[in-house]
Amino acid sequence: MDYLFHILVSVALFSILATSFNLLIGYSGLFALSHAAFFGVGAYATAILTTQLGLGFPSPLLIGMLITAFVGIAIALPALRIGGDYLVIVSLALQMIVAAIMLNWTSLTGGTDGIRGIPRVVIAGWELNSAPRILPLAACCAAICFWISWKIGHSPYGRALKAMRENESAVLSVGKNVVAMKLSVFALAAALASVAGSLYAHYVTFVSAEGFTLDLTVYILAMVILGGTGNLWGSLLGAAILTALPELLKFLALAPDIADKTRQMLYGVILILILRIRPQGLIPESSTLTKAQDPGFRPDVGALVKAAKLEGKGLEKRFGGIVAVSGVDISIEPGRITGLIGPNGAGKTTAFNLLTGFLKPTAGEVRYRDRSLTGLKPHEIVRLGIARSFQDLRLFTRMSVIENVMVAMPRQSGDSLFQVFFNPWKVQREESEHLAKALAILEFVQLAHRASDIAADLSYAEEKLLVVARLMATEAEVLLFDEPLSGLSPDTLEQVFPIFRKLAASGRTLAIIEHNLDVIRSLCDSAIFLDEGKKFAHDRPEVLMNDPVLATRYFK
Amino acid sequence: MDLLAQLLVNGLVNGSHYALLGLSFGLIFGPTRITHFAHGPLATLAAYLGWWAAQRGLPIELALLTGIGAGACIGVLCYQFLYRPFERSGSPALVILIGSLGLYIVTENFIGAVFGTDTKVLASAPSHVFLLGPVVITMVQAMQMLALLTSSIALALFLGKTRFGRAVLAMNDNIEMARVVGIDTHRIALLVFGLGSALAACAALLILMRDGASSHMGFNLVFMGFVAVVVGGIGSLRGAVAGGYALGLVESLGMWKIPSEWQSSIAFVVLFLVLLLRPQGLFAGRQ
Repeated sequence: MDYLFHILVSVALFSILATSFNLLIGYSGLFALSHAAFFGVGAYATAILTTQLGLGFPSPLLIGMLITAFVGIAIALPALRIGGDYLVIVSLALQMIVAAIMLNWTSLTGGTDGIRGIPRVVIAGWELNSAPRILPLAACCAAICFWISWKIGHSPYGRALKAMRENESAVLSVGKNVVAMKLSVFALAAALASVAGSLYAHYVTFVSAEGFTLDLTVYILAMVILGGTGNLWGSLLGAAILTALPELLKFLALAPDIADKTRQMLYGVILILILRIRPQGLIPESSTLTKAQDPGFRPDVGALVKAAKLEGKGLEKRFGGIVAVSGVDISIEPGRITGLIGPNGAGKTTAFNLLTGFLKPTAGEVRYRDRSLTGLKPHEIVRLGIARSFQDLRLFTRMSVIENVMVAMPRQSGDSLFQVFFNPWKVQREESEHLAKALAILEFVQLAHRASDIAADLSYAEEKLLVVARLMATEAEVLLFDEPLSGLSPDTLEQVFPIFRKLAASGRTLAIIEHNLDVIRSLCDSAIFLDEGKKFAHDRPEVLMNDPVLATRYFK
Repeated sequence: MDLLAQLLVNGLVNGSHYALLGLSFGLIFGPTRITHFAHGPLATLAAYLGWWAAQRGLPIELALLTGIGAGACIGVLCYQFLYRPFERSGSPALVILIGSLGLYIVTENFIGAVFGTDTKVLASAPSHVFLLGPVVITMVQAMQMLALLTSSIALALFLGKTRFGRAVLAMNDNIEMARVVGIDTHRIALLVFGLGSALAACAALLILMRDGASSHMGFNLVFMGFVAVVVGGIGSLRGAVAGGYALGLVESLGMWKIPSEWQSSIAFVVLFLVLLLRPQGLFAGRQ
């Protein structure tokens, strides 16, 4: 009977590890192979604090969470600048450093002997010295950790994490602080994993560095992949299946060593098979919002605003020896649509990048409302009211249309983890308002009927509309569109023009990059002609188009 | 001073080993962009096959050739039957990496289950020692340096002078463009998997002769190769060699002041700092 309880305790501990790992790789797209190290640091922290300082439950668990959170942040630091394969390798390196510390800092960790005689948890005189006795505590901790992860996953913060996974620069462009998100999610996932480590140390009463290797990380990874990334219930299921399944091997009379190896091979095979057969996992990711929650009311999203003029003075950008833009003075007036035209490579997108902080100008400055924007980060500039779209759209493709819009809204208290947990009613009330507003924006761009569909399923024209909706959702007064109309059919263009005209008529400052001269002529009040990184003219479209010098440049 | 000279030589020997691993990993990673994590355990398997051949009475030269040949075959099979199906179904890079981790675990434990977890030594390995003044170099250490020298020259000639070699470089530069200009990228992928795996098998066999082989040595083989590539700058094979030597020298010269049990951590700290301060790699740049 104890054997069954032992399996259940293992399921509880692994479900903590799998759900927290899912927050990192499934939600945030941060593929760090160091989860076993987080687990190990939590276990060692409890082992050391109980045997050397005599602390009793629960303080070793809580202190361990804090320590492990800092280890998580140490991995997040390189992850701020790099991703993908680099993050894989650097997280592995960190795992190796942690293992080396466990093995070599003998006075603290017992070296290769590990630490024995870790005291059991005692609650009200009741010593949890067997699997059935510790199971309720393990189950409780697993439930709390799951609740925390679930709460995070379903909050605006979790939505922003998923958006970051889909496209990091687009998350910046809607005003999110990617640095803070990465640091916090790493700290959180690490702290949760250390809870499992602490319970493990109390349960097994012995820790050694051999328990926390890459093999264990791959084991947890197999649980997450089997269950489904981006879905926490999947991680519970994956943990349960992969903990219980190998027990069947016990019925084959294998030598213990061979049995262990066979078990590991089984994980590897399952991992490969699930990726081949059902890469989305047993329970695929689902949208966290449904239309049933429609609050009914609609705020006026086309209301008048008083935007101001956006100005760039003497902008210059060099990449090494190449001058992308030089001596460009740009002024974009409110209440009108300004076109940016010029041949390929003229520096139009570079100009947008300079205006919105995605590139730092080599010289010159950008001013808005008597304020210099020089040195501000992209997400800070968005918060001051200047937002841009990308030529290659950069939608959050695996999220629903409505989530694409909602994630872009400013000042969400649910973006703060503190508010998610300590002010849930406020977050809930705001969510309902934001949902109403997002629906209103989608109606404004005539995309409301696709609100609950996944963005990846949209047609090309619909994708372009969603780009407009997402930019509107930032509540920026200055909207810079990079080729929002390219590739659309003339019929579609006629449907889309009024949206841009309404936005300008409401007092916003609009600029669009466009190659189609007919579009410029019928939509723009004025246009700026750029070529070879220099501004050649800023005038009414008709004047520019009748200028023979510019025409030669454009069609050269 | 004698100690420093010995450490320098040890650093060059280990650097040659890491550089060879870096070449083998980079040769696959550059053109295919597959993070071939199973590289290490598969090379270990090749070394074990070489050991097995020697145990059966094959002369050591033939046993080593068997191991290298087996390594090349295993690499080609691995691409054709694991990675190729993933690529054909349009799996993202991350999925392929996870699949590779799956094969990593399977191979590592397969070796342990079949051959046991004890350290395998090659009794017939050469054991001469050269004395250069106060510095000691073993025959196998010399072979490690020689292996890097010959394989990098051969590789440079192959890549620079032959049609296939230039196709590898083109694919390394831009896989889409390589396809557009009519390069059969499937064939090139098989080629680099074969060549890269043979180089890794060579490095693993040299470790078998020097220190003996163990079932879990695959981690270090792939990890140090990967680190050499990242430290040197992704996409550059020259960078991978330079990165390998940088690791070997830092690791070895670090021993002058740092206790030996921390030796393996030095490389990880170097990697950590490089990625934090210069993520494009120390010797970034196209070849």
